Amino acid sequence: MSAARTTSSKGASKPKAKVKPKAKAKAKPTAVADTPSRQPMRRTIRGGRPYFFADPAIDKLLNMLVVLGSEVWTLRERLAALEAIQIRQGGLAAGELDAHEFSAEDESRLAAERKEFIDSLFRILQEQVEEARRR
Amino acid sequence: MLELKHELKLAKTRDEKARMNFVSGLRAHVLNDMATGMRTVYEGDVEPGFRRSAGRTPKDGPEVHKAIKPNEYFKFYSSLRVTAQDMVWQSVFPPLERNRGALKSKATALAKTKRRERRAEHGSLTLQPGFEVPRYVSAIDVHLMAGNYDGEYEANDLAAGALYDNGLAVFSFGLMGQNLDDIGQSIAGFIRLKYPHLKPKKILDLGCTIGHNTGSWRDQFPAAEVHGIDVAAPCLRYAYARAEAQGRAIHFTQMNAEALDFPDASFDVVFSSMFLHEIPQKGIANIMREAFRVLRPGGLMLHMELPPNSQLSAYDAFYLDWDSAYNNEPFYKPFRDLKPEELCRKAGFDPKKYVQFVIPSVGWYGEKVWSESATQPRDVDNDKTGRLTDGILWYCFGAWK
Ligand SMILES: C[S@@+](CC[C@H](N)C(=O)[O-])C[C@H]1O[C@@H](n2cnc3c(N)ncnc32)[C@H](O)[C@@H]1O
Repeated sequence: MSAARTTSSKGASKPKAKVKPKAKAKAKPTAVADTPSRQPMRRTIRGGRPYFFADPAIDKLLNMLVVLGSEVWTLRERLAALEAIQIRQGGLAAGELDAHEFSAEDESRLAAERKEFIDSLFRILQEQVEEARRR
Repeated sequence: MLELKHELKLAKTRDEKARMNFVSGLRAHVLNDMATGMRTVYEGDVEPGFRRSAGRTPKDGPEVHKAIKPNEYFKFYSSLRVTAQDMVWQSVFPPLERNRGALKSKATALAKTKRRERRAEHGSLTLQPGFEVPRYVSAIDVHLMAGNYDGEYEANDLAAGALYDNGLAVFSFGLMGQNLDDIGQSIAGFIRLKYPHLKPKKILDLGCTIGHNTGSWRDQFPAAEVHGIDVAAPCLRYAYARAEAQGRAIHFTQMNAEALDFPDASFDVVFSSMFLHEIPQKGIANIMREAFRVLRPGGLMLHMELPPNSQLSAYDAFYLDWDSAYNNEPFYKPFRDLKPEELCRKAGFDPKKYVQFVIPSVGWYGEKVWSESATQPRDVDNDKTGRLTDGILWYCFGAWK
Protein backbone atom coordinates (compact mmCIF):
# COMPACT_ATOMS: atom_id res chain seq x y z
CA MET A 1 0.00 0.00 0.00
CA SER A 2 2.64 2.53 0.99
CA ALA A 3 4.81 1.61 -1.98
CA ALA A 4 2.01 2.45 -4.37
CA ARG A 5 1.38 5.68 -2.51
CA THR A 6 4.94 6.88 -2.63
CA THR A 7 5.35 6.27 -6.31
CA SER A 8 1.99 7.69 -7.23
CA SER A 9 2.42 10.80 -5.13
CA LYS A 10 5.77 11.84 -6.53
CA GLY A 11 4.18 14.12 -9.08
CA ALA A 12 2.53 16.19 -6.38
CA SER A 13 3.76 19.70 -5.71
CA LYS A 14 6.91 20.17 -3.66
CA PRO A 15 7.30 22.95 -1.12
CA LYS A 16 8.71 26.14 -2.57
CA ALA A 17 12.36 26.49 -1.61
CA LYS A 18 12.08 30.14 -0.68
CA VAL A 19 9.27 31.62 1.31
CA LYS A 20 8.68 35.18 0.26
CA PRO A 21 8.77 37.15 3.48
CA LYS A 22 6.47 39.89 2.31
CA ALA A 23 3.79 37.85 0.58
CA LYS A 24 0.77 40.07 -0.05
CA ALA A 25 -2.28 39.30 2.03
CA LYS A 26 -4.29 38.62 -1.12
CA ALA A 27 -1.84 36.21 -2.75
CA LYS A 28 -3.29 32.71 -3.02
CA PRO A 29 -1.75 30.63 -0.24
CA THR A 30 0.36 27.71 -1.35
CA ALA A 31 -0.77 24.42 0.12
CA VAL A 32 1.24 22.41 2.59
CA ALA A 33 2.97 20.06 0.24
CA ASP A 34 3.39 16.33 0.04
CA THR A 35 6.15 14.49 1.76
CA PRO A 36 6.73 10.94 0.62
CA SER A 37 6.33 9.40 4.07
CA ARG A 38 2.92 8.67 5.50
CA GLN A 39 2.57 9.15 9.27
CA PRO A 40 -0.42 7.01 10.18
CA MET A 41 -3.03 8.18 12.68
CA ARG A 42 -5.66 6.19 14.52
CA ARG A 43 -8.79 6.09 12.37
CA THR A 44 -11.05 3.94 14.54
CA ILE A 45 -13.54 5.59 16.88
CA ARG A 46 -13.22 4.89 20.60
CA GLY A 47 -16.56 3.69 21.92
CA GLY A 48 -17.56 2.17 18.61
CA ARG A 49 -20.39 3.34 16.38
CA PRO A 50 -24.17 3.01 16.71
CA TYR A 51 -26.19 0.61 14.58
CA PHE A 52 -29.83 1.06 13.71
CA PHE A 53 -31.13 -1.96 11.83
CA ALA A 54 -32.21 -5.17 13.52
CA ASP A 55 -29.10 -6.73 12.09
CA PRO A 56 -26.02 -4.45 12.23
CA ALA A 57 -24.86 -6.14 9.06
CA ILE A 58 -27.36 -3.95 7.22
CA ASP A 59 -25.76 -0.79 8.55
CA LYS A 60 -22.38 -2.12 7.54
CA LEU A 61 -23.56 -2.99 4.05
CA LEU A 62 -25.07 0.46 3.71
CA ASN A 63 -21.73 1.96 4.71
CA MET A 64 -19.97 -0.08 2.04
CA LEU A 65 -22.49 0.98 -0.53
CA VAL A 66 -21.92 4.63 0.28
CA VAL A 67 -18.13 4.30 0.24
CA LEU A 68 -18.52 2.65 -3.11
CA GLY A 69 -20.74 5.49 -4.23
CA SER A 70 -18.03 7.88 -3.15
CA GLU A 71 -15.45 6.07 -5.27
CA VAL A 72 -17.75 6.01 -8.26
CA TRP A 73 -18.24 9.73 -7.89
CA THR A 74 -14.50 10.24 -7.50
CA LEU A 75 -13.91 8.46 -10.78
CA ARG A 76 -16.50 10.57 -12.51
CA GLU A 77 -14.87 13.76 -11.31
CA ARG A 78 -11.49 12.49 -12.41
CA LEU A 79 -12.82 11.51 -15.81
CA ALA A 80 -14.49 14.87 -16.19
CA ALA A 81 -11.18 16.59 -15.41
CA LEU A 82 -9.34 14.38 -17.85
CA GLU A 83 -11.88 14.91 -20.57
CA ALA A 84 -11.79 18.66 -20.08
CA ILE A 85 -8.00 18.69 -20.35
CA GLN A 86 -8.06 16.46 -23.41
CA ILE A 87 -10.64 18.56 -25.13
CA ARG A 88 -8.71 21.72 -24.35
CA GLN A 89 -5.53 20.22 -25.76
CA GLY A 90 -7.17 18.35 -28.61
CA GLY A 91 -5.35 15.19 -27.52
CA LEU A 92 -7.97 12.47 -27.64
CA ALA A 93 -9.03 10.80 -30.86
CA ALA A 94 -12.34 9.00 -31.25
CA GLY A 95 -12.19 5.35 -30.15
CA GLU A 96 -8.72 5.74 -28.66
CA LEU A 97 -9.84 5.16 -25.07
CA ASP A 98 -11.67 1.94 -25.88
CA ALA A 99 -8.68 0.57 -27.73
CA HIS A 100 -6.16 1.40 -25.03
CA GLU A 101 -3.96 -1.33 -23.44
CA PHE A 102 -2.02 -0.60 -20.23
CA SER A 103 1.72 -1.12 -20.05
CA ALA A 104 3.00 -3.71 -17.56
CA GLU A 105 4.22 -0.91 -15.32
CA ASP A 106 0.84 0.85 -15.36
CA GLU A 107 -0.83 -2.48 -14.80
CA SER A 108 1.09 -3.18 -11.58
CA ARG A 109 0.56 0.33 -10.26
CA LEU A 110 -3.16 -0.07 -10.88
CA ALA A 111 -3.12 -3.39 -9.07
CA ALA A 112 -1.71 -1.73 -5.95
CA GLU A 113 -4.24 1.08 -6.16
CA ARG A 114 -7.06 -1.39 -6.63
CA LYS A 115 -5.99 -3.18 -3.46
CA GLU A 116 -6.12 0.10 -1.56
CA PHE A 117 -9.55 0.79 -3.04
CA ILE A 118 -10.88 -2.56 -1.89
CA ASP A 119 -9.34 -2.13 1.57
CA SER A 120 -11.12 1.16 2.02
CA LEU A 121 -14.39 -0.33 0.79
CA PHE A 122 -14.30 -2.94 3.52
CA ARG A 123 -12.66 -0.79 6.19
CA ILE A 124 -15.71 -1.03 8.43
CA LEU A 125 -15.21 -4.75 8.96
CA GLN A 126 -11.68 -4.07 10.14
CA GLU A 127 -13.08 -2.23 13.15
CA GLN A 128 -14.32 -5.43 14.71
CA VAL A 129 -10.92 -6.97 14.13
CA GLU A 130 -9.19 -4.07 15.84
CA GLU A 131 -11.61 -4.22 18.75
CA ALA A 132 -10.98 -7.93 19.16
CA ARG A 133 -7.25 -7.31 18.97
CA ARG A 134 -7.45 -4.79 21.83
CA ARG A 135 -9.24 -7.25 24.08
CA MET B 1 -15.98 21.07 -1.07
CA LEU B 2 -14.75 24.14 0.65
CA GLU B 3 -11.04 24.87 0.15
CA LEU B 4 -9.30 26.30 3.19
CA LYS B 5 -8.13 29.82 2.48
CA HIS B 6 -4.92 29.91 4.48
CA GLU B 7 -1.37 28.62 4.26
CA LEU B 8 -1.95 25.52 6.39
CA LYS B 9 -4.25 23.99 3.84
CA LEU B 10 -3.18 20.50 2.81
CA ALA B 11 -2.17 19.50 -0.68
CA LYS B 12 -4.75 17.04 -1.93
CA THR B 13 -4.94 14.87 -5.00
CA ARG B 14 -7.79 15.25 -7.46
CA ASP B 15 -9.34 12.06 -6.06
CA GLU B 16 -9.07 13.21 -2.46
CA LYS B 17 -10.86 16.42 -3.36
CA ALA B 18 -13.56 14.46 -5.16
CA ARG B 19 -14.10 12.23 -2.11
CA MET B 20 -14.48 15.32 0.06
CA ASN B 21 -16.95 16.77 -2.43
CA PHE B 22 -18.93 13.58 -2.26
CA VAL B 23 -19.06 13.56 1.56
CA SER B 24 -20.14 17.20 1.67
CA GLY B 25 -22.86 16.40 -0.85
CA LEU B 26 -23.92 13.35 1.10
CA ARG B 27 -24.19 15.38 4.30
CA ALA B 28 -26.23 18.07 2.59
CA HIS B 29 -28.53 15.36 1.30
CA VAL B 30 -28.98 13.74 4.71
CA LEU B 31 -29.32 16.97 6.70
CA ASN B 32 -31.54 18.85 4.25
CA ASP B 33 -33.47 16.41 2.09
CA MET B 34 -33.65 13.40 4.37
CA ALA B 35 -34.27 15.56 7.45
CA THR B 36 -37.28 17.02 5.66
CA GLY B 37 -38.33 13.53 4.63
CA MET B 38 -38.07 12.26 8.19
CA ARG B 39 -40.25 15.06 9.51
CA THR B 40 -42.84 14.21 6.89
CA VAL B 41 -42.73 10.53 7.85
CA TYR B 42 -43.07 11.54 11.50
CA GLU B 43 -46.06 13.80 10.93
CA GLY B 44 -47.83 11.51 8.49
CA ASP B 45 -47.06 8.20 10.07
CA VAL B 46 -45.33 8.03 13.42
CA GLU B 47 -47.20 10.73 15.31
CA PRO B 48 -50.70 9.59 14.22
CA GLY B 49 -49.74 6.05 15.33
CA PHE B 50 -48.64 7.37 18.71
CA ARG B 51 -51.85 9.37 19.07
CA ARG B 52 -53.99 6.35 18.26
CA SER B 53 -52.45 4.25 20.99
CA ALA B 54 -51.70 6.90 23.64
CA GLY B 55 -54.59 9.26 23.01
CA ARG B 56 -52.26 12.27 22.96
CA THR B 57 -49.19 13.61 21.15
CA PRO B 58 -45.63 12.90 22.37
CA LYS B 59 -44.80 15.28 25.16
CA ASP B 60 -41.06 15.64 24.66
CA GLY B 61 -37.99 14.68 22.64
CA PRO B 62 -37.43 11.29 24.29
CA GLU B 63 -41.03 10.24 23.55
CA VAL B 64 -40.63 11.21 19.91
CA HIS B 65 -37.34 9.32 19.82
CA LYS B 66 -38.94 6.18 21.24
CA ALA B 67 -41.83 6.37 18.80
CA ILE B 68 -39.71 6.92 15.70
CA LYS B 69 -36.96 4.43 16.52
CA PRO B 70 -38.57 1.37 14.86
CA ASN B 71 -39.31 3.39 11.71
CA GLU B 72 -37.29 2.36 8.68
CA TYR B 73 -36.80 5.87 7.38
CA PHE B 74 -35.34 6.88 10.74
CA LYS B 75 -32.96 3.94 10.51
CA PHE B 76 -31.75 4.89 7.06
CA TYR B 77 -31.43 8.54 8.02
CA SER B 78 -29.44 7.64 11.13
CA SER B 79 -27.29 4.99 9.59
CA LEU B 80 -26.41 7.24 6.65
CA ARG B 81 -25.72 10.14 8.96
CA VAL B 82 -23.28 8.06 11.01
CA THR B 83 -21.62 6.87 7.82
CA ALA B 84 -21.35 10.42 6.49
CA GLN B 85 -19.95 11.65 9.81
CA ASP B 86 -17.31 8.95 9.78
CA MET B 87 -16.49 9.64 6.13
CA VAL B 88 -15.85 13.31 6.95
CA TRP B 89 -12.81 12.32 9.02
CA GLN B 90 -11.87 9.42 6.76
CA SER B 91 -11.68 11.84 3.83
CA VAL B 92 -9.11 13.94 5.70
CA PHE B 93 -6.83 11.19 7.04
CA PRO B 94 -5.03 10.28 3.79
CA PRO B 95 -3.88 13.80 2.83
CA LEU B 96 -3.20 14.61 6.48
CA GLU B 97 -1.16 11.51 7.20
CA ARG B 98 0.89 12.18 4.10
CA ASN B 99 1.48 15.84 4.93
CA ARG B 100 1.96 15.83 8.67
CA GLY B 101 5.69 16.51 8.49
CA ALA B 102 5.29 19.38 6.05
CA LEU B 103 2.42 20.80 8.07
CA LYS B 104 4.53 20.92 11.19
CA SER B 105 7.43 22.69 9.48
CA LYS B 106 5.07 25.14 7.84
CA ALA B 107 3.50 26.01 11.19
CA THR B 108 6.91 26.46 12.81
CA ALA B 109 8.10 28.61 9.93
CA LEU B 110 4.93 30.70 10.04
CA ALA B 111 5.35 31.48 13.72
CA LYS B 112 8.97 32.50 13.12
CA THR B 113 8.42 34.64 10.02
CA LYS B 114 5.58 36.47 11.64
CA ARG B 115 7.66 37.14 14.69
CA ARG B 116 10.53 38.41 12.54
CA GLU B 117 8.22 40.74 10.69
CA ARG B 118 7.67 42.55 13.98
CA ARG B 119 4.20 43.65 13.33
CA ALA B 120 3.02 46.29 15.74
CA GLU B 121 1.07 43.52 17.40
CA HIS B 122 1.30 39.82 17.16
CA GLY B 123 -0.34 36.91 18.85
CA SER B 124 1.09 34.35 21.20
CA LEU B 125 0.90 30.70 22.15
CA THR B 126 1.24 29.54 25.75
CA LEU B 127 1.07 25.85 26.58
CA GLN B 128 1.33 24.42 30.09
CA PRO B 129 3.70 21.47 30.48
CA GLY B 130 2.01 18.69 32.44
CA PHE B 131 -1.44 20.19 31.87
CA GLU B 132 -4.23 17.86 32.90
CA VAL B 133 -6.88 17.48 30.20
CA PRO B 134 -10.31 16.74 31.73
CA ARG B 135 -11.53 13.16 31.30
CA TYR B 136 -14.58 14.32 29.36
CA VAL B 137 -12.16 15.35 26.61
CA SER B 138 -9.32 12.86 26.97
CA ALA B 139 -11.48 9.73 27.18
CA ILE B 140 -13.82 10.03 24.19
CA ASP B 141 -13.81 10.63 20.46
CA VAL B 142 -16.42 13.40 20.26
CA HIS B 143 -18.52 13.42 17.09
CA LEU B 144 -16.77 10.25 15.94
CA MET B 145 -13.49 12.11 15.44
CA ALA B 146 -10.79 9.53 16.13
CA GLY B 147 -8.14 10.98 18.44
CA ASN B 148 -10.41 13.80 19.60
CA TYR B 149 -9.13 17.37 20.07
CA ASP B 150 -6.23 16.49 22.33
CA GLY B 151 -4.76 13.32 20.78
CA GLU B 152 -1.03 13.69 20.14
CA TYR B 153 1.22 11.39 18.17
CA GLU B 154 4.56 13.13 18.67
CA ALA B 155 6.10 16.22 20.26
CA ASN B 156 4.66 19.54 19.04
CA ASP B 157 1.96 17.71 17.14
CA LEU B 158 -0.80 19.71 15.50
CA ALA B 159 -2.46 16.98 13.49
CA ALA B 160 -5.67 17.08 15.56
CA GLY B 161 -6.07 20.78 14.70
CA ALA B 162 -5.62 20.06 11.02
CA LEU B 163 -8.05 17.14 11.20
CA TYR B 164 -10.65 19.47 12.72
CA ASP B 165 -10.09 22.36 10.28
CA ASN B 166 -10.13 20.21 7.16
CA GLY B 167 -12.92 18.05 8.54
CA LEU B 168 -15.08 21.05 9.35
CA ALA B 169 -14.68 22.28 5.78
CA VAL B 170 -16.19 18.99 4.56
CA PHE B 171 -18.67 18.65 7.43
CA SER B 172 -20.24 22.10 7.12
CA PHE B 173 -21.07 21.86 3.38
CA GLY B 174 -20.67 25.61 3.08
CA LEU B 175 -22.99 26.55 5.95
CA MET B 176 -20.19 27.71 8.23
CA GLY B 177 -18.73 30.26 5.86
CA GLN B 178 -15.80 30.32 3.47
CA ASN B 179 -13.38 30.71 6.36
CA LEU B 180 -15.43 28.49 8.72
CA ASP B 181 -16.15 31.60 10.79
CA ASP B 182 -19.79 32.28 10.01
CA ILE B 183 -20.70 31.84 13.68
CA GLY B 184 -18.06 34.33 14.79
CA GLN B 185 -18.77 36.84 12.05
CA SER B 186 -22.55 36.65 12.46
CA ILE B 187 -22.45 36.99 16.24
CA ALA B 188 -19.53 39.37 16.86
CA GLY B 189 -20.89 41.58 14.07
CA PHE B 190 -24.40 41.43 15.50
CA ILE B 191 -23.13 42.51 18.93
CA ARG B 192 -21.23 45.42 17.38
CA LEU B 193 -24.37 46.56 15.53
CA LYS B 194 -26.74 46.07 18.44
CA TYR B 195 -24.57 47.65 21.12
CA PRO B 196 -22.69 50.52 19.48
CA HIS B 197 -21.69 51.80 22.92
CA LEU B 198 -19.77 48.62 23.64
CA LYS B 199 -16.04 49.22 23.18
CA PRO B 200 -14.40 46.07 24.54
CA LYS B 201 -10.73 46.27 25.45
CA LYS B 202 -10.34 42.57 26.21
CA ILE B 203 -12.28 39.63 24.79
CA LEU B 204 -12.04 35.96 25.81
CA ASP B 205 -13.15 32.95 23.75
CA LEU B 206 -13.62 29.75 25.78
CA GLY B 207 -12.99 26.36 24.12
CA CYS B 208 -11.69 28.06 20.99
CA THR B 209 -10.33 24.85 19.36
CA ILE B 210 -8.53 26.12 16.22
CA GLY B 211 -9.60 29.74 16.76
CA HIS B 212 -11.78 29.76 13.64
CA ASN B 213 -14.46 31.82 15.39
CA THR B 214 -12.08 33.66 17.72
CA GLY B 215 -10.64 35.68 14.86
CA SER B 216 -13.98 37.33 14.11
CA TRP B 217 -13.86 39.21 17.42
CA ARG B 218 -10.55 40.68 16.38
CA ASP B 219 -12.04 41.62 12.97
CA GLN B 220 -15.12 43.23 14.46
CA PHE B 221 -13.33 44.94 17.37
CA PRO B 222 -9.83 45.67 16.06
CA ALA B 223 -8.91 47.70 19.14
CA ALA B 224 -9.51 44.75 21.47
CA GLU B 225 -6.96 42.30 22.83
CA VAL B 226 -8.39 38.89 21.99
CA HIS B 227 -7.66 35.69 23.92
CA GLY B 228 -8.61 32.12 23.11
CA ILE B 229 -8.27 29.26 25.59
CA ASP B 230 -8.68 25.53 25.21
CA VAL B 231 -7.47 22.36 26.91
CA ALA B 232 -6.22 20.74 23.68
CA ALA B 233 -2.57 21.51 22.88
CA PRO B 234 -2.54 20.26 19.26
CA CYS B 235 -5.55 22.43 18.42
CA LEU B 236 -3.97 25.48 20.09
CA ARG B 237 -0.70 25.04 18.17
CA TYR B 238 -2.68 24.88 14.98
CA ALA B 239 -4.89 27.81 16.03
CA TYR B 240 -1.87 29.99 16.63
CA ALA B 241 -0.27 29.16 13.27
CA ARG B 242 -3.62 29.62 11.53
CA ALA B 243 -4.18 33.04 13.10
CA GLU B 244 -0.65 34.13 12.22
CA ALA B 245 -1.17 32.90 8.64
CA GLN B 246 -4.28 35.05 8.46
CA GLY B 247 -2.55 38.05 10.00
CA ARG B 248 -4.64 38.08 13.17
CA ALA B 249 -3.00 38.82 16.50
CA ILE B 250 -4.64 36.48 19.00
CA HIS B 251 -3.34 35.10 22.27
CA PHE B 252 -3.87 31.37 22.66
CA THR B 253 -3.38 29.74 26.04
CA GLN B 254 -3.85 26.21 27.29
CA MET B 255 -6.28 26.58 30.15
CA ASN B 256 -9.29 24.87 31.68
CA ALA B 257 -12.40 27.06 31.43
CA GLU B 258 -13.53 25.62 34.76
CA ALA B 259 -10.55 27.23 36.50
CA LEU B 260 -9.33 30.24 34.53
CA ASP B 261 -5.93 31.64 35.21
CA PHE B 262 -7.07 35.25 34.68
CA PRO B 263 -7.65 37.88 37.38
CA ASP B 264 -11.14 38.92 38.48
CA ALA B 265 -12.85 41.58 36.36
CA SER B 266 -10.31 41.43 33.54
CA PHE B 267 -12.49 40.99 30.42
CA ASP B 268 -15.23 43.02 28.73
CA VAL B 269 -16.63 40.11 26.72
CA VAL B 270 -16.50 36.41 27.53
CA PHE B 271 -17.68 34.35 24.58
CA SER B 272 -17.94 30.71 23.62
CA SER B 273 -19.40 28.88 20.65
CA MET B 274 -20.48 25.27 20.33
CA PHE B 275 -18.67 24.72 23.60
CA LEU B 276 -20.99 24.12 26.58
CA HIS B 277 -22.77 21.17 24.98
CA GLU B 278 -19.54 19.17 25.17
CA ILE B 279 -19.18 19.69 28.94
CA PRO B 280 -20.87 17.77 31.78
CA GLN B 281 -23.41 19.75 33.81
CA LYS B 282 -21.11 20.19 36.80
CA GLY B 283 -18.39 21.60 34.57
CA ILE B 284 -20.87 23.98 32.91
CA ALA B 285 -21.76 25.44 36.30
CA ASN B 286 -18.06 26.00 37.07
CA ILE B 287 -17.50 27.61 33.69
CA MET B 288 -20.41 30.01 34.15
CA ARG B 289 -19.08 31.04 37.55
CA GLU B 290 -15.62 31.60 36.13
CA ALA B 291 -17.07 33.69 33.29
CA PHE B 292 -18.85 35.83 35.87
CA ARG B 293 -15.68 36.22 37.90
CA VAL B 294 -13.38 37.32 35.05
CA LEU B 295 -15.96 39.75 33.61
CA ARG B 296 -15.75 43.43 34.44
CA PRO B 297 -18.96 45.01 35.75
CA GLY B 298 -20.83 46.10 32.63
CA GLY B 299 -19.23 43.31 30.59
CA LEU B 300 -21.08 40.75 28.47
CA MET B 301 -21.04 36.96 28.68
CA LEU B 302 -22.33 35.30 25.53
CA HIS B 303 -22.57 31.62 24.59
CA MET B 304 -23.49 30.53 21.10
CA GLU B 305 -25.18 27.17 21.52
CA LEU B 306 -27.86 24.74 20.49
CA PRO B 307 -31.24 26.01 21.65
CA PRO B 308 -32.58 24.56 24.92
CA ASN B 309 -35.21 21.82 24.84
CA SER B 310 -37.54 23.97 26.95
CA GLN B 311 -37.90 26.39 24.03
CA LEU B 312 -38.48 23.85 21.24
CA SER B 313 -41.27 21.59 20.04
CA ALA B 314 -41.03 17.90 21.00
CA TYR B 315 -39.98 16.95 17.46
CA ASP B 316 -37.28 19.62 17.17
CA ALA B 317 -35.96 18.64 20.58
CA PHE B 318 -35.73 15.03 19.41
CA TYR B 319 -34.08 16.11 16.17
CA LEU B 320 -31.29 18.02 17.88
CA ASP B 321 -30.77 15.36 20.54
CA TRP B 322 -29.97 12.83 17.83
CA ASP B 323 -26.30 13.74 18.27
CA SER B 324 -26.39 12.94 21.95
CA ALA B 325 -27.56 9.41 21.32
CA TYR B 326 -25.62 8.59 18.17
CA ASN B 327 -22.74 10.99 17.58
CA ASN B 328 -20.63 10.46 20.71
CA GLU B 329 -21.93 13.63 22.30
CA PRO B 330 -22.89 12.36 25.77
CA PHE B 331 -23.25 15.85 27.29
CA TYR B 332 -25.31 17.34 24.51
CA LYS B 333 -28.79 16.44 25.74
CA PRO B 334 -27.99 17.05 29.43
CA PHE B 335 -26.87 20.54 28.43
CA ARG B 336 -29.95 21.15 26.31
CA ASP B 337 -32.17 20.07 29.19
CA LEU B 338 -30.84 22.97 31.29
CA LYS B 339 -32.52 26.36 31.31
CA PRO B 340 -30.05 29.04 30.15
CA GLU B 341 -31.67 31.75 32.31
CA GLU B 342 -31.14 29.61 35.39
CA LEU B 343 -27.55 28.84 34.48
CA CYS B 344 -26.82 32.57 34.34
CA ARG B 345 -28.69 33.33 37.54
CA LYS B 346 -26.91 30.57 39.47
CA ALA B 347 -23.55 31.91 38.32
CA GLY B 348 -24.36 35.28 39.90
CA PHE B 349 -25.87 37.23 37.02
CA ASP B 350 -28.90 39.43 37.61
CA PRO B 351 -31.91 37.72 35.93
CA LYS B 352 -32.99 41.13 34.61
CA LYS B 353 -29.76 41.27 32.64
CA TYR B 354 -30.29 37.95 30.83
CA VAL B 355 -30.19 38.14 27.02
CA GLN B 356 -30.77 35.69 24.19
CA PHE B 357 -30.66 36.11 20.45
CA VAL B 358 -31.56 34.23 17.31
CA ILE B 359 -29.18 35.55 14.66
CA PRO B 360 -29.47 34.77 10.96
CA SER B 361 -26.25 33.41 9.44
CA VAL B 362 -24.66 36.36 7.64
CA GLY B 363 -23.30 34.00 4.97
CA TRP B 364 -26.65 32.40 4.23
CA TYR B 365 -29.01 35.38 4.52
CA GLY B 366 -26.69 38.19 3.41
CA GLU B 367 -25.81 41.47 5.12
CA LYS B 368 -29.26 43.05 4.79
CA VAL B 369 -31.41 40.46 6.55
CA TRP B 370 -28.64 39.78 9.05
CA SER B 371 -28.16 43.43 10.05
CA GLU B 372 -31.92 44.01 10.30
CA SER B 373 -32.08 41.25 12.88
CA ALA B 374 -30.24 43.52 15.33
CA THR B 375 -33.46 45.49 15.68
CA GLN B 376 -36.03 42.78 14.96
CA PRO B 377 -35.88 39.94 17.49
CA ARG B 378 -36.80 36.43 16.37
CA ASP B 379 -38.40 33.51 18.19
CA VAL B 380 -36.28 30.53 19.20
CA ASP B 381 -38.97 27.98 18.30
CA ASN B 382 -38.11 27.41 14.68
CA ASP B 383 -36.77 24.35 12.88
CA LYS B 384 -33.81 26.35 11.59
CA THR B 385 -32.54 27.49 14.99
CA GLY B 386 -29.17 26.00 15.78
CA ARG B 387 -29.56 23.37 13.14
CA LEU B 388 -27.03 22.80 10.37
CA THR B 389 -29.41 23.17 7.46
CA ASP B 390 -30.19 25.62 4.67
CA GLY B 391 -31.38 28.86 6.25
CA ILE B 392 -29.54 28.33 9.52
CA LEU B 393 -30.13 30.68 12.46
CA TRP B 394 -27.55 30.86 15.28
CA TYR B 395 -28.82 30.82 18.85
CA CYS B 396 -26.99 32.47 21.74
CA PHE B 397 -27.66 33.38 25.32
CA GLY B 398 -25.85 35.21 28.09
CA ALA B 399 -26.03 38.11 30.48
CA TRP B 400 -24.55 41.48 31.33
CA LYS B 401 -22.62 41.75 34.55
C1 LIG C 1 -16.88 21.84 19.76
S1 LIG C 1 -15.35 22.49 20.20
C2 LIG C 1 -15.61 24.23 20.12
C3 LIG C 1 -15.57 24.77 18.75
C4 LIG C 1 -15.38 26.22 18.55
N1 LIG C 1 -15.46 27.06 19.72
C5 LIG C 1 -16.36 26.70 17.51
O1 LIG C 1 -16.76 27.83 17.58
O2 LIG C 1 -16.71 25.91 16.61
C6 LIG C 1 -15.14 22.24 21.91
C7 LIG C 1 -13.75 22.63 22.41
O3 LIG C 1 -13.78 22.79 23.81
C8 LIG C 1 -12.56 22.32 24.35
N2 LIG C 1 -12.77 22.07 25.78
C9 LIG C 1 -13.46 21.05 26.34
N3 LIG C 1 -13.49 21.19 27.68
C10 LIG C 1 -12.82 22.32 27.97
C11 LIG C 1 -12.52 23.01 29.18
N4 LIG C 1 -12.90 22.54 30.36
N5 LIG C 1 -11.81 24.16 29.10
C12 LIG C 1 -11.41 24.64 27.91
N6 LIG C 1 -11.67 24.04 26.74
C13 LIG C 1 -12.36 22.89 26.76
C14 LIG C 1 -12.24 21.13 23.50
O4 LIG C 1 -10.86 20.81 23.57
C15 LIG C 1 -12.68 21.61 22.12
O5 LIG C 1 -11.63 22.21 21.44
